Amino acid sequence: MCLGIPMRIVEIHGVNARCEAKGVSREVSLFMLQDEPLQVGDPVLVHVGYAIQKMTPQEARSTWELFDRALAAEEAAAPSGGEHV
Amino acid sequence: MSATRSARDWLERIHALPLRGRVRIMNVCGGHERSITRAGLRTLLPAEIELIPGPGCPVCVCPEEDIHQAIHWALTAGVTLVAFGDMLRVPIDRPRREIRSLEQARAAGADVRPVASPTEAVRIAAAAPERPVVFFAAGFETTIAPVAAMLAEGIPDNLSVLLSGRLTWPAVAMLLASGEPGFDCLIAPGHVATVMGPEEWAFVVREHRIPTAVAGFTPESLLAAIYSTLRQHLEGRLFLDNCYPEVVRPGGNPEARALLRRTLEVVDAPWRGIGILPASGFALAAHSWDARRRHPPADHRDRPRAGGMPAGCDCARVVLGRIYPDACKLYGRTCTPRTPVGPCMVSDEGACRIWWTGGVRAPAPAEIPAGVQAP
Repeated sequence: MCLGIPMRIVEIHGVNARCEAKGVSREVSLFMLQDEPLQVGDPVLVHVGYAIQKMTPQEARSTWELFDRALAAEEAAAPSGGEHV
Repeated sequence: MSATRSARDWLERIHALPLRGRVRIMNVCGGHERSITRAGLRTLLPAEIELIPGPGCPVCVCPEEDIHQAIHWALTAGVTLVAFGDMLRVPIDRPRREIRSLEQARAAGADVRPVASPTEAVRIAAAAPERPVVFFAAGFETTIAPVAAMLAEGIPDNLSVLLSGRLTWPAVAMLLASGEPGFDCLIAPGHVATVMGPEEWAFVVREHRIPTAVAGFTPESLLAAIYSTLRQHLEGRLFLDNCYPEVVRPGGNPEARALLRRTLEVVDAPWRGIGILPASGFALAAHSWDARRRHPPADHRDRPRAGGMPAGCDCARVVLGRIYPDACKLYGRTCTPRTPVGPCMVSDEGACRIWWTGGVRAPAPAEIPAGVQAP
């Protein structure tokens, strides 16, 4: 029941919008995103008829990527570590 | 930005980790469990990793008394009873010859209607202003926030609410406080965190030293979260990871949280078969919305198992992740989706239903030697 469905806004009228996903069109309330500047074409996450969040295209990731990169950068810097200013 | 990683990449990285023993990773969301089961992740991961379905099904923990109350009103109070579809087939403690579910009440002539959105409840009430309509709403934060939005937007006078909303983190807090949580790592629920913010789960890391990551519902996001918690576990460097940045942002959805605060209160609340958990339930802030203030209470005196799970049903331990679904004696024998005994076999978010749908059948009885097929 907690599963949201990604949909795209095709028409906004007041606090509601017509949204579409995979050819299925649905009336969706934007009441919970009133402070978000939403436009036609924006992807939103819809749960039980309400848009609960605007989606930003970001892939699944883990913060370990950042740690590993920082670590790799440190290690790369290490051999010349004593010399740099 | 880093290159996109596929599910295969994540699996390779997980298999490359130097696991030294069993690691139990719990999820607390029926949607996560469904994705894990559907993608067959258990069969793809190293044998040391156990994925445990935990408290992630609001229908499963909805008080039996609330369902009985809804059935009672539908049959006697002349109301139209609307509820999310999952709720209609959950049986209550009643003799088999009597009406035991909202679906059976409907078959007996009661006006019971499944809805997929709170907006439908409003529409049904507005279409018949002279008829009382009760919206029986069970759910976790993700579902209750839209109910809060419905209340804040204004509801017709003839509409009232029977609310069985629950928060997810208090059940995890209870497991952790029990001294035997039954898991080493936690996958936090992505859409609850979308609404409430990931910060709600920080206590698991900070106070209990349990590696935690918020996950979405694709195999990639779930595997990223599994990888993250395993590395936290192995390296002892713990933090709350967010593997679902597409929608999970710091603070969640502030408007939704404001609506929840404005229309509802957080109260101690009973969980079916589990007991009362502190600060784990939503209650209506205004009496005028409360169906219990408009319609007479149901009588529970002739129902000896009221509030509990059915006889022999191990749903409560399944919900808490204490046992796997197929360890219940009823699983796949007397309890199947066609003839569910407990709520975990009814709801799409129930671990029993998910496992059955995923092809897990009842294990052969213990006395039959291994290798002999059950009939």
